[in-house]
Amino acid sequence: MDFVVTTLLNALTLISILMLVGLGLAISFGLMNVTNLAHGEFVTVGAFAVYFVQSVGGSFWLGLAAAPIAGAVVGCILEFAIIRHLYSRPVSTVLATWGVSLILQQGLELTFGLGAKPVTPPIEGTFDLFFTVYPAYRLILIAIAMLTLLGVVLLISRTSFGLDIRTVIQNREMAEGVGINTRRTYAIAFTFGAAIAGLAGGLVAPLAIVLPQMGVNYLANAFFVVIVGGVGSIGGLVAGSVFVGGLTSILNYQISPSLAQAIVLLAAIVAVRLRPNGLFNGASR
Amino acid sequence: MIARDRNWLLIFAVCVVLAVLYPLFADGYQLTVIRDALIFGLFAASLDFFWGRTGILCFGHAAFFGIGGYIMALITLNDAIPFGSLLGIMGAVAGAAFVAAIIGYFLFFGGIRGSYFTIVTLAMGVICQQAAVSWSSVTGGDSGLIGIPPIEFDLGGMHVDLSQDLPSYIFVASIVAVVVLALWSISRGRWGTVLTAIQDNEVRAAALGHNAPLRLLVTFVLSAAIAGLAGALYVCMAGLVAPDLSGLLLSTEVIVWVAVGGRGTLLGPVLGAIAIQRAQQTISSFNPSLWPLLLGCVFVIIVFVLPDGILSIYARLKSLFKGRRRAQ
Repeated sequence: MDFVVTTLLNALTLISILMLVGLGLAISFGLMNVTNLAHGEFVTVGAFAVYFVQSVGGSFWLGLAAAPIAGAVVGCILEFAIIRHLYSRPVSTVLATWGVSLILQQGLELTFGLGAKPVTPPIEGTFDLFFTVYPAYRLILIAIAMLTLLGVVLLISRTSFGLDIRTVIQNREMAEGVGINTRRTYAIAFTFGAAIAGLAGGLVAPLAIVLPQMGVNYLANAFFVVIVGGVGSIGGLVAGSVFVGGLTSILNYQISPSLAQAIVLLAAIVAVRLRPNGLFNGASR
Repeated sequence: MIARDRNWLLIFAVCVVLAVLYPLFADGYQLTVIRDALIFGLFAASLDFFWGRTGILCFGHAAFFGIGGYIMALITLNDAIPFGSLLGIMGAVAGAAFVAAIIGYFLFFGGIRGSYFTIVTLAMGVICQQAAVSWSSVTGGDSGLIGIPPIEFDLGGMHVDLSQDLPSYIFVASIVAVVVLALWSISRGRWGTVLTAIQDNEVRAAALGHNAPLRLLVTFVLSAAIAGLAGALYVCMAGLVAPDLSGLLLSTEVIVWVAVGGRGTLLGPVLGAIAIQRAQQTISSFNPSLWPLLLGCVFVIIVFVLPDGILSIYARLKSLFKGRRRAQ
């Protein structure tokens, strides 16, 4: 019983992080059709923001507030300087964003130096959950991630900005016809996705090894979350995160993490072959 | 079209002559540097054969390079296997082709194209590197395998021994020349024309009776086989194989070589590979961590300034002068 609950909670931690990282990709890759290979660096930037704030004496919570801001700033600059010029050139976008990701990684390494950066969690100790005891910080992480996701769902379904986004996604020309500034909507949506990824990086910083190169792992997994789950819906995002995150957590108990990662990605490739439109949109093809 | 063919053959001939003359002016060390650069040039040409003809970017091509390298290493390091070098090369080519056939089947017949294909192949590179690191009983883990012997075999009464600098340079240079010429004649013939049709509009090409997924699959497998050959050659010349050879960074570097040299020209990527490796050595010699930063900048600059590669400068200048003359 103990073991099952712990595994479930571990899976839930990973799934929450993947959902947050995947959300930005679902917006840029799924909806705007921009293959942004620098998305992993938004996570890195968020984690480094927490490290930086802690290293100058600030609290973890202050750092966590800075993380999405840092992600948003980097995302906004990237959109403005590069991505908006390349909407019609998909392969060029891939090359340019990969170049940006290398620049960001190396820039962080030159600024902060080699080696892993320490980030201390705000709360030590465990929480008694009746069935089992579990690290308190991980429970907080899950709660913040779920609340953020709920907020995003409400934003997209209830606000006028959400309505704009949904309109642009359904038909870009028509949206322009009824007077929506699609460029601005894209820019805001992209920046928003980067901010959420930055928040994910800040949340995961105390648990992960904070390195300039940490983004790549999140990038590959997040892409599979979006592809496996199916593009264009929160339901698909959840399904993809549960698939990738759940499988990784279960396998991590049996075999080495790098082999587990390899097997999960292989399983995802097979899933994509069997369900090209995603697990969630299984019916339509 | 004929004029372009003639230009291509002319540049190819000039390159061959330069490659033949080079040993007269270079010492042993310089020969090995160019030899290794040529192997990576072959690797770049293999990617260009797929990417340049189909417009679909493979972001994990180093996986095939690494697979070829590891198969070559495992076969030649095993004393029980006779004709190690020849069998190793064949095994490397077949192994890379086999993996590409499986992956390609899943993707092309599953309707995966464009950026989806790019992402999945990116993950394929990550998988291969992770597998090479974690399967340490076979691959030697992080440190890889060392002591791989140079290529040596008997063929038709001729004894080939590539432990010396000059023979290995000649061997590699002739393989690169033959393969590039072969790939060029494939891609300019009917096969290439059909691929261009598929790239332009796959639905219409299919309506004309072309089996688009099969064509793409065969092209992909051929491209992977040559990448495997390049990997096998490289590990014999270097004497070692490591997980980096199938990694993400090599996958991205090969893309830069192709993009800088000019996508779809086959010759440009080889020249791009040689030029950029020389630049990399120069820059890394005074600051090793500067190279990835510059690599990133090159990506961005290419996209905005030189979308068709270095060779396009010549075409641009030509059209500029033509435009002038016509204006007069």
